[in-house]
Amino acid sequence: MQRLRSAPPRYWLVLVAVLFLAGLPTVVTSFQASEFGGALVLAIAIMGLNILVGYSGQISLGHGAFMALGAYTSAILVHAYKLDFLATIPIAGVVTGVVGFLFGIPALRLSALYLALATFALAVVTPSLIKRPATLTGGVQGILLIQPDPPQFMKDGFAAITGTPMTSDQWIYYVILACTLLLFWFAWNLVRHRPGRAMRAVRDGEVAAAASGVNVAGYKTLAFGVSAFYAGVAGSLFALSTGFISPDTFPVGLSIQLLVGGVVGGLASIPGPLLGAIFVYFLPIESNQWVPSQTWIPTPVANTVVKAGPAVTYGAILILIMIFAPNGIVGLVNAGYSGLRRRLRGAGDRETGQMPPGPQTV
Amino acid sequence: MQEFLQQLVSGLASGGIFASLALALVLIYNAMGLVNFAQGEMAMFATFIAFALIERGASYWIAFPLTLVLAFAGGIAVQRIVIRPVERAPVLTLVIVTLGLATLFNGAAGFLFGYVPRSFPSPFSLTTLNIFGAYASYQDLGVIAVSGVVLLLIYLLLQRTTVGLTMRAAAHHPEASRLLGVRVSWMLALGWGLASAVGAVSGIMAAPALLLQPDMMQTVIIYAFAAAVLGGIESPLGAVVGGLIVGVTVNLAGAYLPFVGGDLQLAVALAIIVAVLVIKPNGLFGRPAVRRV
Amino acid sequence: MAALLELEEVRAGYGPTSVLHGVSLEVPEAGIVSLLGANGAGKTTTLRAITAGVRWTGDIRFDGRSLRRLSTEDVVRCGIAHVPEGRGILTELTVDENLRLGSHLRRDPDVRKDYDLVFEYFPVLKERRRLSASTLSGGEQQMLAIARALLMRPRLMLLDEPSLGLAPMIVRSIFEIIRTINQTRRVAVLLVEQNAGLALELSSAAFVLEVGRVAVHGDSAELKGNESVRRSYLGY
Repeated sequence: MQRLRSAPPRYWLVLVAVLFLAGLPTVVTSFQASEFGGALVLAIAIMGLNILVGYSGQISLGHGAFMALGAYTSAILVHAYKLDFLATIPIAGVVTGVVGFLFGIPALRLSALYLALATFALAVVTPSLIKRPATLTGGVQGILLIQPDPPQFMKDGFAAITGTPMTSDQWIYYVILACTLLLFWFAWNLVRHRPGRAMRAVRDGEVAAAASGVNVAGYKTLAFGVSAFYAGVAGSLFALSTGFISPDTFPVGLSIQLLVGGVVGGLASIPGPLLGAIFVYFLPIESNQWVPSQTWIPTPVANTVVKAGPAVTYGAILILIMIFAPNGIVGLVNAGYSGLRRRLRGAGDRETGQMPPGPQTV
Repeated sequence: MQEFLQQLVSGLASGGIFASLALALVLIYNAMGLVNFAQGEMAMFATFIAFALIERGASYWIAFPLTLVLAFAGGIAVQRIVIRPVERAPVLTLVIVTLGLATLFNGAAGFLFGYVPRSFPSPFSLTTLNIFGAYASYQDLGVIAVSGVVLLLIYLLLQRTTVGLTMRAAAHHPEASRLLGVRVSWMLALGWGLASAVGAVSGIMAAPALLLQPDMMQTVIIYAFAAAVLGGIESPLGAVVGGLIVGVTVNLAGAYLPFVGGDLQLAVALAIIVAVLVIKPNGLFGRPAVRRV
Repeated sequence: MAALLELEEVRAGYGPTSVLHGVSLEVPEAGIVSLLGANGAGKTTTLRAITAGVRWTGDIRFDGRSLRRLSTEDVVRCGIAHVPEGRGILTELTVDENLRLGSHLRRDPDVRKDYDLVFEYFPVLKERRRLSASTLSGGEQQMLAIARALLMRPRLMLLDEPSLGLAPMIVRSIFEIIRTINQTRRVAVLLVEQNAGLALELSSAAFVLEVGRVAVHGDSAELKGNESVRRSYLGY
């Protein structure tokens, strides 16, 4: 009880958030739950990217490619080999993780800029690369998946609470939520213990880290591998939740979205990816829904705005955030919070859980 | 043999376009150690401006230089307004800012001009000329010629004029240059303006073939990256040579390697980038850019 | 008559570390003044403050006009040439290009003559004109730096340790050239030097810095003659 009472406010916040997310499907429509699931999927991918960029200081503009790999791995296993979907999730993650790890090896030789270029090129090429082995990937047609039914006990349990049995969408949402919580918890532990410290040491100064005995190459490739694992799982869950993937599902814009989400939320933080994912996921949707609903805007204009709006907004917000708040939302909150605390308690108080600084030059 | 020559000429023409955009990338890289991910989108936007001018009745040969001037001014404006506040920030921040710019320009183009592909006029006709038995279109030759002229002018500017000298000084040795009275900050802005204008050339040359639309330059920028990396990211000469090599290679690969075909040419560019970075990261003409620990 | 360069109670430092704690000195028109002192006394920082390479408080006046808030480029454009420690050679460029950067701001017709003069003083620069500046030896780079500063036609030259790492003969010839420039062109010089003996021979006045303050100053001849000053502050 004592520990509960002295736990920092952060823990309570997390508990509230988890409860909120768990209870969400009971109060919103099935469709909305699946939308939120989509945001959580992005959160997982962004968390992975965050481990790479925020904590180990490397750049990737190509995480969409890893998502594609995870998505297609799952989809092919389910479609061609009739595996149960849930089983394919960890497989997709591991496969992508291994590929990511291998990718991390040549990446060691590249300076930040060249790595950005190489991963960017990878992201642009990904749709074409997917189309080619058409017999395996279904080529341009993509792969259509049947969404699994919830197991009976979940259906009944849900019905007991809300009166209606659980739908497929809602079941998928819970699967995604479970993965999200698990992976976030894992990331939190990773960051708190030695691997996280080592990575941050590498991020903040490789030469110094090497001199202190940190296996720089090892941790950098590990970061790539873990990061890709997350993206692979996210891709797999993405395939699960949308039920259809094709080469056009993974354009270069996706990789940029992931990076934007990471930065806006706040790199080198745990809640950052979730906040960033919400921003990235709902911004286009909101502008897609709000603008056409305004009857005073003529339709062709509305259509163009809907198509162009998010891009202009993204771009502008991204630039403004980099100029004024490079540590993202979390950075702003932290700055505001610690400023407030300092004023309330006076200087010299012990700061719990101070967020690491923003990414450093590689 | 004739087919080969045709592909060669065609490859050189694309190469000229890649070289122009690659040169823009190199100019900005030299100005600030940063690759401008928005270069392609800025070039596309400039091309749209040219299009708008032509639609309002300007002749091609008036719209072209006028667009270059506007692109130049635009490049300077972008540097002053967006880049300068984050000049000293880490690489990642700058990369993200240029990505933001890219998204912004893309969206703005879509917003102002729509997403329907438009045809863009070319002053060169598509009739072909018989050279040593191969057929090359005036269009291709025109692109090669124009690109060549622009690149030559840039070379002369950088190497033979005082302004070019101060730009190079500011790029390589900012602190020492300040002690010589060079206004380093403005030289950086000038670099951006110049790069923007050169990029506009690339866009205007590419538009007739690719059709003008907001996503027009997204593949071209990858080829330009490949060219810049191959030539050595710091070397303007490398950008030109790299551009030509990439143009020809990609064309020939598409024509003669069956598994490449039309749509995997981009993957060839990726392969070039990866190969160069793994084998000889400083490219053909550059200095080492790989980090040593 | 006010001096060409005046520093008044200048404080400066790098971040939290304060290096100068109130330095006051002056350089008269066409005069040569030495700035001496042990390592870490703040000599280089003083020069950097003048050309806005470091933040400072107090006042620095050049030709009566305060240099506060001017950027490095603007200070230099007032007529001050600063040859920093390490010489500031642009190694990416050729010798000729380095020289041209010295003269690039000038519009007067004497530029040609100055080039001739510079090549007369430093013939090796003429030989190596087209070569990369990185191919020059230490002494030759120092010559290039001074030649370049000359081409700026400054009214004041700030020289930071011009003798560092150079053979004594080369140092002597460089100092001779500095003296000649000062006498024929009336260019004032503020000379930072570890080699106090040489510096005192060249300059007419000297300021000795100790831990960020002027400990002793006066006529060079007097200081040279004063045994106790020499021993305590100048190390010989």
